[in-house]
Amino acid sequence: MTTQTQSLNPPPMKNTNRFEVTAWKWMRYSGLLLIPLAWGHALLQDVLVGVHRIDLDYVAFRWASTGWRVYDFALLAFAFAHGVNGLRNVLNDYVKSEVAQRRLSYILLLVWIIISLIGAFAIIGGVGSD
Amino acid sequence: MDFVRLNVTGLATYRGREGQLSFILHRLTGLGTLLFLAIHILDTSTVYFFPSLYQHAIEIYRSTPMMLGEIILVFCLIYHGVNGARIALFDLFSPGKWIIPIQRRSVVLTLAISILLWLPAAFLMGRSLLVHNFGF
Repeated sequence: MTTQTQSLNPPPMKNTNRFEVTAWKWMRYSGLLLIPLAWGHALLQDVLVGVHRIDLDYVAFRWASTGWRVYDFALLAFAFAHGVNGLRNVLNDYVKSEVAQRRLSYILLLVWIIISLIGAFAIIGGVGSD
Repeated sequence: MDFVRLNVTGLATYRGREGQLSFILHRLTGLGTLLFLAIHILDTSTVYFFPSLYQHAIEIYRSTPMMLGEIILVFCLIYHGVNGARIALFDLFSPGKWIIPIQRRSVVLTLAISILLWLPAAFLMGRSLLVHNFGF
């Protein structure tokens, strides 16, 4: 039964990559912050309001308040960065070549920047007119 | 596709029990939520870029398969949050408790809390699906 109480902690790493340490902490801090942010958003929009009551007017009404825009902006910034870095972590488990890892990281960085910018423009711009 | 096969056969042969289950669930719920999030950022962005398309996007979300997917999405969000909190809190505040018997119990507790939180949400969303799409 000695293995039953064995610690699951890996031995401390040498040559720790500073970026990876920061990313590791980021996943934990942003994750804890996302619990109220993402759960609050899903509870309000999916459970309490519901997709049948959401339309352009509803979005315009919601974004008329700066507070909700700031909330949505925080959600966009934290959730998508958390998710894309999570995807990077998953891919790094399967892609072993360092060159390929580096290329994938740059592709993900680009995808993250583009989609975040599109979302940011929409939150700042608000409901447009055709 | 080698890694997919490795994971499927590994799942049957590795027998990592609770820890492996929570690892796989955490990844699946995270990747599923990310896929939804990327689509959701882009479809919501149509309110600014192409407002006339937004109504069309919302119609898709109101369909029965999407509303069922929404119920699954909420489970993904809840499980990923509860399990993520477990990981973050143990990592940040008591890394010494990463011990198999403690973690086996905490994995089961995590799953139980997630299901308890999900059930009322699933009930309300399921009722909304029946009312709007099936005329109850």
